[in-house]
Amino acid sequence: MSHKSSLRSLSVAAASAVLVSLPLALQAKAPEVSQDVYLDGLESPWDLAFMPDGTMFFTEKCKGLSVQLPDGTVNNLLGMSGSEGYAMTTDDLFCSGQAGMNGVTLDPDFADNHTIYVYSAYRVGDNPASNRVLRLKVGGDLATVSDRTDIVKDIPYKQAPTDHPFGDSGAHNGGRIRFSPDDGFLYVTTGDNHNSSLPQFGDNLGAKVLRIDGNGDAAPGNADATPEGFDPRIFTYGHRNVQGIAFHPESHQPIVTEHGPWHSDEVNALVPGGNSGWDPRPNMAGRGDCPDDYCGYQPNQNEGMDPEERSAYMPMTDLETYPDAMKPLWNNNGYSQGISSAAFLDGEQWGDWNGRLVVSFMGIGFGGTPVGQRINVIDLGADGPTVQDITEMPVPAGSARFRGLVMGPDGALYVTVDEGQVHRFTVE
Amino acid sequence: MKRTMLFALACAIGLAQAQAADTAAGKSLYASNCAQCHGPTAKGMASFPALAGKDADYLQSRLETYRAGEKVGANSSLMIPNARNLSDDDIANLSAFLSNNAQ
Repeated sequence: MSHKSSLRSLSVAAASAVLVSLPLALQAKAPEVSQDVYLDGLESPWDLAFMPDGTMFFTEKCKGLSVQLPDGTVNNLLGMSGSEGYAMTTDDLFCSGQAGMNGVTLDPDFADNHTIYVYSAYRVGDNPASNRVLRLKVGGDLATVSDRTDIVKDIPYKQAPTDHPFGDSGAHNGGRIRFSPDDGFLYVTTGDNHNSSLPQFGDNLGAKVLRIDGNGDAAPGNADATPEGFDPRIFTYGHRNVQGIAFHPESHQPIVTEHGPWHSDEVNALVPGGNSGWDPRPNMAGRGDCPDDYCGYQPNQNEGMDPEERSAYMPMTDLETYPDAMKPLWNNNGYSQGISSAAFLDGEQWGDWNGRLVVSFMGIGFGGTPVGQRINVIDLGADGPTVQDITEMPVPAGSARFRGLVMGPDGALYVTVDEGQVHRFTVE
Repeated sequence: MKRTMLFALACAIGLAQAQAADTAAGKSLYASNCAQCHGPTAKGMASFPALAGKDADYLQSRLETYRAGEKVGANSSLMIPNARNLSDDDIANLSAFLSNNAQ
């Protein structure tokens, strides 16, 4: 843990302590939250996208893209290899481990152009696999998709197992896609594939956040901010595995969540050309050789040890090697618990929580770390931004592997969970 | 002859113990220690495999392997510490519960 982030953690702890001792009337008023299972019987649902009338598109990691209409009817639109019961099935989309059909989002002009985007693993025959961003047109009857165009074809995918925790193929696959309400560009989050030659190098799209237009072309300005020779689609680099992105409601700054390596899940505020400071290469920064040339879980990848000791050896944000790296807003008090997605609560019904960042955790119990399945509610001041307060979303119906967070048009928070459901959080 | 009878008696006791595996205890242990990754009905989630309906001998063997600290598969670093403190009865109960479809 860096000195600065230690101080920040202490500050958060101190602020929480003060908060506890304040009279109730002076504390931020938490809303009365209800939680219900909105949709059940799914298989690893990953992400959601809503139309204003409540029509809900959803992805299932190994099945494909579907949509639930406001009357409850579900239409299966685009099936992956091996799927049945879809209007269209394509054998070049597949799943393995963490990879499969991941993020989904609607075009900002969806009402006019009926265009939707998905992020999926792709392979033809025995060729190496990749991740792609697909653009599709949704039929007027919401029963079919057509006009597929793969607008990004070269996001790295982990081809083969390695000697690491979670070391199967398809690991560290990123996969969230969201349009910025400010600049209108599509942001695509990717992962490092347990490959140390990806994060700090701009000749590939792994361990990055991309900023592109609806045709997959680089947003003008990306290349002005990144190091010489970087792929112009790269907005930020040096990430580990980014599965969440949302835009601050006031500043519109992109805020991401990054999985930590047995320590330090991070919330980061992105700046153009920013380096997130992850560099798991062997034989540098005081490290020697590492299993399969990836030091990401060192110095001891299979046994528990003090997260602070881990962080000193293999920092999530290496500010010694990269002093200009983006400093995390929050590091989950030094724990890695499977941070997944991010969204901002929106609407007066949320009371004092209106505009707050929510981040989800799937939970990982390793080496004495509490499993930590939960949703945190973070007051993120636009200035900086800085963490003002952190609390937990009540889960009256129970916790789960919370995978994806999306605000619905009705002002409720919808959450995909690996247990095969979509949960809905509403307030009185 | 005497030795054979003793061996047969030991086998009979072992069999009786196996048959007496406490699936209710296995269910309780599963809910508190395993369900967060393998799912409430043990059908698997994310990169964590399905366990429901698997053969009890296979499950027992795997848990004993993890308990011994031996790596099997990509998630060994999660399974080894989880299995480390399981007793023989815990493993038998879990295996019996899961092989009975974990309902």
